[in-house]
Amino acid sequence: MSHTPEEQDHIPTSKVQRATKFLGAGAKVGGNYIKHYAKKIVNPSLSKEELHEHNAQDIYTSLSQLKGSALKVAQMMSMDKTMLPGAYQDKFTMAQYSAPPLSYPLVVRTFQKAFGRTPEAMFDTFSPSAVNAASIGQVHKATKDGKTFAVKVQYPDVAESVSSDLRMVRPFAYRLLNMNEKEMDHYMDEVEEKLLEETDYELEVQRSQEIATACRHLPHLNFPNYYPALSTARIITMDWLEGAHLKEWLQNNPTQEDRNQIGQALWDFYHHQVHHLKQVHADPHPGNFIIQEGVTLGIIDFGCVKVIPEDFYRGYFSLIKKESLLNEAQLNQIFFDLDFISDRDTPAEQAYFKGVFKEMIALLGRPFHSETFDFAQDSYFQQIYTLGDRISKDKMFRQSRQARGSRHGLFINRTYFGLYSLLNQLGAHISTTKPMWLA
Amino acid sequence: MENIEKTNLSGKNTRTRILEAFVHHVLETGQEPVSVYKFAQSLQMREQEFYTFYTSFQGVKGGVWESIFEQTLTDMLAQEAYAHYSPKEKLLSFYFTCIEELKKNRSYLLALYEKQPDFKKVTPQEVQSFKNKYLAFAKTLVQEGKETEQIANRKYISDKYPEVLWLETLFIFQFWLKDTSPGFERTDAAIEKSVNLFFDVIGRNAVDSFFDFAKFLYQSK
Repeated sequence: MSHTPEEQDHIPTSKVQRATKFLGAGAKVGGNYIKHYAKKIVNPSLSKEELHEHNAQDIYTSLSQLKGSALKVAQMMSMDKTMLPGAYQDKFTMAQYSAPPLSYPLVVRTFQKAFGRTPEAMFDTFSPSAVNAASIGQVHKATKDGKTFAVKVQYPDVAESVSSDLRMVRPFAYRLLNMNEKEMDHYMDEVEEKLLEETDYELEVQRSQEIATACRHLPHLNFPNYYPALSTARIITMDWLEGAHLKEWLQNNPTQEDRNQIGQALWDFYHHQVHHLKQVHADPHPGNFIIQEGVTLGIIDFGCVKVIPEDFYRGYFSLIKKESLLNEAQLNQIFFDLDFISDRDTPAEQAYFKGVFKEMIALLGRPFHSETFDFAQDSYFQQIYTLGDRISKDKMFRQSRQARGSRHGLFINRTYFGLYSLLNQLGAHISTTKPMWLA
Repeated sequence: MENIEKTNLSGKNTRTRILEAFVHHVLETGQEPVSVYKFAQSLQMREQEFYTFYTSFQGVKGGVWESIFEQTLTDMLAQEAYAHYSPKEKLLSFYFTCIEELKKNRSYLLALYEKQPDFKKVTPQEVQSFKNKYLAFAKTLVQEGKETEQIANRKYISDKYPEVLWLETLFIFQFWLKDTSPGFERTDAAIEKSVNLFFDVIGRNAVDSFFDFAKFLYQSK
């Protein structure tokens, strides 16, 4: 094995051949690999970066033409920064901002199907064009009796096409993440389940109200009211939150106190959800937050909520204890419970992965290890990326075809990556609280 | 009902009565009546009276199509927002309203057309009047689009746009017949996407620049 080029171990020819059968990007990605290997024979120094660049381009082009779930998967992958090489990330982050809007006649039709009335008949005013795009819908601004509403309308056929879109994404995902299909499916099922939930606007209204009620007592947070009578499976009506999106707000150079206040509100919000409610708004995307007067944080869009199972919760969060506080046996047990390592691993693999995960945990848990933490330090994030990069390039890691980590970790990791990255953008210095049982 | 109408037969009422009875017959039996004679009899009408309105069942089916078009137009124009729509939105609105109208007659249409492998083969006579009205509607849209420059004026080709749109209409109708998604959502998506594509193609785009450039090169030789 060691005589063949390393990539050959991961992309069996049959896979390349099979890839060419897929339409669009599938075929193109396969083609890129073939091209890459052909070139590599001639010029062995060819970098893999170039191949990634080509692949990302083609995959992105195809994905951006799909609506709904494929876009969502792209978004999700783009958030897990350590999971993907640089080139993929850049393209997939673009996916978050491009979606062709619904035509107004279709919005009217959606209303007529749901309520038997046109939007103009239901509200005093209704903006014919969308004021904001979400990946599976778009937001219109409406007024009635002096109140302003945000009305989210879902694209037709999204729920129906989630599963079929995912089937199209799977082959890319196997190749992108270099996992075998069986292991991958374990995660894909989790993703599919969450995506299907996101298309259920009735569930979203119910959860939004639940979480908003449970978190309203936290300082500097604001939640819109939801109007179930004006909402259906395809439409959500809520209060319009006046304010600026996070990115706009940051452009106006807010003071350090204000940034800390927003950062702290964000931290408290997630702390309360994870440790008390055991269900969490798992989509900390900058577009889901609005900064309002008096410097409060407005929270919109509860499409993606992850319920945290109790046994997973205990194991996962035990890991944020300082390493020295966990003994070897406890750590081993947790690693097994969370599927980081398994009986199928060779002793060498076990030792290697234990080392890797310990290093990752020590780094990712660092904010919890002190009373306060300054998320403005880019050097900390640089360390995370460097570690992620180093691991993903490591031969041992790449050759292991096993999925690692519990499926529940997928969305929890995503939530924390998102949260850290938001706090970094805010440059916030905050006091990092821990749950009582870990203190 | 029928007895009351019979005492006061205006031409229009009889026309509607024939259409309704025909639809009713297809709905109940899954097929066309055996003969005009039988059909007229069931309406307590003499055969020759039937012929003053329609010459065959083909004509009756055409009449049903025509009434679907008329109803679509009425409903569509009744929408307040319609007046402010761009040609593209008007076309979308037409299709969405039309699908709604078709839905009311779905069983009837399925009984007649489900087994048709290709709707284009359906005797033109049957949909002629629907088609003519549609073409007239499409023509005004294309005209408006050209004036507002949302549609590129291409010699000879742009005159064919209404015909192309008619093919799109047939496509949508067939798509809808086979659609099994809840609330015919897939048809909604098909309409949205196909209309978007059509307007992207007929708007000023790379093709126009290409021909412009080719012409320039040719002339400067």
